[in-house]
Amino acid sequence: MHVRLNDRAFALLLLAPAALFMLVLVAYPLLDLVRNSFFNGMLSAPDAGHFVGLDNYASAIASPQFSGALARTILYTLIVVPCELVLGIAAALLFNAIGQRSAIFRTVFAFPLMIAPLVAGLLWKFLLSDNFGVINWILHWVGILRDPTSISWLSDPTLVMFSVAIPDIWLTTSFVALVVYAGLQGIPGDILEAATIDGAAYFQRLRYVTLPLLRPVLAVVLVIRGVDAAKTFDVIWLQTQGGPAFASEVLSLQIYRTTIRFGDLGQGAAIATMFLVAMTVVSIVAVARVWRPGEGARRA
Amino acid sequence: MPSTAYPARRRIQVARIAVVVLLLLVLVAYVFPYAYLLGTSFKQSGATLGVPPSILPPVWSLDNYTGLGNHPEIPQTFVNSLAIAVLSTLLALVLGVPAAYAISWYGTGAGRVFFVIALVVRMVPSVSIAIPLFLMLGRLGLIDSWIGVALAHTTINLPLSIWLLAGFFESVPHELEEAARVDGCSRIGALVRIIVPVMVGGIAVTAVFAFLASWNEYLFALLLTTNKAQTVPVLIAGFNTQYGVDWGLMTALSVLYSLPVVLLSIGLQRKVVAGMTMGAVKG
Repeated sequence: MHVRLNDRAFALLLLAPAALFMLVLVAYPLLDLVRNSFFNGMLSAPDAGHFVGLDNYASAIASPQFSGALARTILYTLIVVPCELVLGIAAALLFNAIGQRSAIFRTVFAFPLMIAPLVAGLLWKFLLSDNFGVINWILHWVGILRDPTSISWLSDPTLVMFSVAIPDIWLTTSFVALVVYAGLQGIPGDILEAATIDGAAYFQRLRYVTLPLLRPVLAVVLVIRGVDAAKTFDVIWLQTQGGPAFASEVLSLQIYRTTIRFGDLGQGAAIATMFLVAMTVVSIVAVARVWRPGEGARRA
Repeated sequence: MPSTAYPARRRIQVARIAVVVLLLLVLVAYVFPYAYLLGTSFKQSGATLGVPPSILPPVWSLDNYTGLGNHPEIPQTFVNSLAIAVLSTLLALVLGVPAAYAISWYGTGAGRVFFVIALVVRMVPSVSIAIPLFLMLGRLGLIDSWIGVALAHTTINLPLSIWLLAGFFESVPHELEEAARVDGCSRIGALVRIIVPVMVGGIAVTAVFAFLASWNEYLFALLLTTNKAQTVPVLIAGFNTQYGVDWGLMTALSVLYSLPVVLLSIGLQRKVVAGMTMGAVKG
């Protein structure tokens, strides 16, 4: 490559409009968010607040609702991501087992990627309803439930976190499956053949050859899905709005409720800022430790 | 995949059948929610909430669809969603194509920094940025306007587009630009007249992604619109939270809302999936 000084100027010129856009519409709002977290402004009068130092942070951290929402955000991520990974890898291995003939399956599997999370949340709210919901009735018909109204998926506080996770799992398992399938295509056939000749059974090949070779792909999927799950809003909001009695309120819903419903700009901004900092730290650690870009992450 | 003719050929055959059966089962479970949504939308309005529910409509009917006619605001929300998605896609491409080109071909330090920033932005929870954005657009008088929502959606679409486009640019040979330059093209001329036309496929895939992200987006649209620029998802969610949900109407509206997306994704399925997995595998 012959990069001249002129090229550099030209490149910066091409970058400038996008950079300016991000500066004005992303960087500035984020700075504004952090600023608001130190003031006691209200949504109705955002500029009328006074500087209150760390008060918003202190009262947020002290409130049991915040720690509850934090715990639920972590729980939600821990439910959703492992389920999606296990189901997605299993589906990808099934696709791989029948090779090119899996095309039709993969096409159908790709559908949820295009569907709005909002529709998914709504649809599952309908399916999981405890009186007319078809899921309870199917469980009844196949003999698992005696009384078809006995599971209150979305109104039982101990169950609701698992119920709200279902549409997310349904929606994004296909993402994991298709990405992992793409990764599987990148594994050289002769390595697996060598393992077979050496007498390795299917699950041994899986454990010692396939999965280690998939590591970069799995790491990317893990980071992306982890981040997306932690910031989920639509799916949960549509199903329960955080209820019953905040039993499914994760942090993104709490920020929304605090700021929009209660109009408490400062408090909402403090929670959002903490969330943002935590996510950034987790992502950086994840990218550096798990993902390790540059170590063949591009193989697929 | 070359399956070596090893001992138990019959066992492989059995395993293969088991895999197909298993896949079919997964598929049925997977498709059922959609099928049920579609079926319910064709039930008579009285049968929507029947107990016990019927899997297929007992009587097929267009009640729920004709019922949408009682809500004259619906067509406008579709126009709004379309206009906002198109605006945001165009904006993301106009800003994203030159930026991605600069990053992948010149690889300057600034370009790499920008790339990392674009990545980090993907990690920013929408709520954190939605509220300051709401205040800012409010000061500019852009609340409840197409342009306001389109700008907000571009904060999602631009990093996504740069990410995808940079990958596509890397696959275009540099000799192409050099040849154009030797023939007397300016840098911009080479980009616009030679490289962009070669990239049409990649740009189209990127456009589909940007369009879908905007069409499906809910939170920004919820916060930034009141009624004039309300998008379809905001309307659907509005029906949901009102007292006494009309499920029949919601299923019909959801089917209509998802239809363009499903058609688009069937038409471009292979390319879109390729783009999605590439985008994911890279970032």
